[in-house]
Amino acid sequence: MIELHERTRRISPSRIHEILMRYNCASMVDPFMGLPTHLNYLKRHGIAVHGGDLLEWFVRVGEGIVVNDLTILRDSEVAEIVEMLPGRIYSLDMFKAWEGVFFSEEQCVYLGVWHDNVRNLRSDGQTGLAILGLWRAFCYWLQKTQNPDDMQDVAPSELAWSYIRQAEQWVIANMRRNTVRQTDVLTTIGAQKADALFLAPPARNSFRSADARIWMWEAWWQGNPYFTIEHAYRDSLFGARAADPPAYARALASVLSAAESYPVVIVQTTEQRIADVESIVRDVRPHVEVVSPHPYETYLVATK
Amino acid sequence: MTLFQDTGGDPRAAAAQLADVLALYGALGDATCGNPPGFAARKAACAVSLATVAELDAATRDALYFAGLLHAVGAIGNPAYRKGERLSERMTRIESWDVPAQGARACAEIAGLPSESADLVRWQHECWDGTGYPDQLRWHGIPLPATLLSLADAFVRAGEPEEALASVSAQAGRAFGPEFGRTFTMWFHLTGGEPEPAQVPLDALQADPAATAALLERIADRIDAHNGVAGRWRRVSRLAEAAAGVLGAEPGAARDLAVAARLYGSGEIAERAEDSESSFDPLARLGIDERAAHAVGAAAFAEGNATLGGAAAVLRARGEWFDGTGKPHGLFQKAIPMTSGILAAAIAYDSLDHKDRIEGATGTQFDPRVVRAIFDVARSLA
Repeated sequence: MIELHERTRRISPSRIHEILMRYNCASMVDPFMGLPTHLNYLKRHGIAVHGGDLLEWFVRVGEGIVVNDLTILRDSEVAEIVEMLPGRIYSLDMFKAWEGVFFSEEQCVYLGVWHDNVRNLRSDGQTGLAILGLWRAFCYWLQKTQNPDDMQDVAPSELAWSYIRQAEQWVIANMRRNTVRQTDVLTTIGAQKADALFLAPPARNSFRSADARIWMWEAWWQGNPYFTIEHAYRDSLFGARAADPPAYARALASVLSAAESYPVVIVQTTEQRIADVESIVRDVRPHVEVVSPHPYETYLVATK
Repeated sequence: MTLFQDTGGDPRAAAAQLADVLALYGALGDATCGNPPGFAARKAACAVSLATVAELDAATRDALYFAGLLHAVGAIGNPAYRKGERLSERMTRIESWDVPAQGARACAEIAGLPSESADLVRWQHECWDGTGYPDQLRWHGIPLPATLLSLADAFVRAGEPEEALASVSAQAGRAFGPEFGRTFTMWFHLTGGEPEPAQVPLDALQADPAATAALLERIADRIDAHNGVAGRWRRVSRLAEAAAGVLGAEPGAARDLAVAARLYGSGEIAERAEDSESSFDPLARLGIDERAAHAVGAAAFAEGNATLGGAAAVLRARGEWFDGTGKPHGLFQKAIPMTSGILAAAIAYDSLDHKDRIEGATGTQFDPRVVRAIFDVARSLA
């Protein structure tokens, strides 16, 4: 059985928004954005947001809920995503490798159908919304493998329909330019000017224990069930080269050095890791405020 | 003048006063978003009962109680509910997603409240699958007590207990983590779906009478902002309290008047339309029904509240006319509490463009002595 991690990092955009308001920040860059629902929240509250990540599906979702302001998915368009269309040739065996291991035969067929349908969508915005909605259906299935008796059986297309419809609700404009890019941390930091930089750096070697719900969906998007995300991180700043504590500290310090032009840098960490992180931040910035509402949610707000 | 009775330094009495003000705050939040009276108290009790079954510690249960009580205070002043707002259905829904975060900010401002309560309010509408609001947290990123608050909400909202059981089971893996369905089912069978009324955990409150009075003023500010009349209660209160002094009101009556001046806007809080009391001429009979309805509505919030209950009579009678033709009960002259007459005259005076018009209503709508006092006070304050 696949392991679904119990602890996930908690990014509370409403709290980040409160910090941004306190420091009069109207724009923010997040080079480790992950699933950018927090950027969507900040966008909704008028902040210009710019995100970056190495995984393509995160960036695609960002195009749906962060970059695009007016994406609409009509019922007929959602139907074209969640069901097999007559006349279209599908690669139904694309995810056969997962059959019997993680999913049923029907679910694997749907994964192939959804993959092809999403690839045929007409706009980046629609594609992003579809990927987000379908990912939630996929997470439901994975969760159900662990709790088969606790969760209801829902027809795949019905589940996907409800989640895509739900994802569409979050689309909103903020009359600002918002961007997402698939690139490394330093490039994202250098590509934009903003009032604040938000850093939630991955824990050391965390890419080796990435959540199945994350890496499997990148594999789905790439259309390759054997895909692993390790290669994406292998040569990255926080990849294998930052495997030991001094190397990890150097990587973090290099990010903070690159962020010199940002008036405010917010580093999210945990109570457990704050001792390691705080000294690195204080080496670069003289003023650091610690906002620590929870053991799993600590913010170091560094100003010049 | 102190707003509440002296507690003589007794921390438990001070905590009881704060708890009463929090109960009022919770009731105002419920009224704002259209929940029935008593919803917040039931939700708090249910959440505490669930937390007991889930074997959470006492401090968390206390924080959960107050989070349940204050679950909807973020709705006060939110554009989705604010008086006079005309938003599309979509924008109303989007604005309403901010209610929990605004509630958390309101809770964080309350001195003496358990610090965990604010974030439980913030995350009470998060869903296991990440489709909740405001933060779209997912999976185990949602704190367990916040999920229990969410389960309590589902229970109290359901028409029948069995309906709640079915709805929670159907939402396993979506609104709630799969294991919460089991927790809820166990709770349901242990309690029969009828949670005991919870005792207010007074020991969890670090109350200070001055901070409690400041909280009531903060609530009054939020009521006025919600009604689109920012700063109104402060002007009315200054006038009314000074007039009560001129007319020699008893200290107890003056205290009730001061509380009433802070709360009278609460009668309008559940009203969405712009055409309400503030848009009618305060000296015309047109709008008398609205004024009386608001007076009764505001009185209902104070009634039964040990700390604020004295203001209920003042609030209820402020729609009465001196000549006995007012509403809701048609009280005549001395049957109308003097403090109610002062409050009514101060409200009318505050909303008039030409203040001298109020003299025309002397003897009919207002007690002549009260009008004279209001004019004297207004002159001295100017």
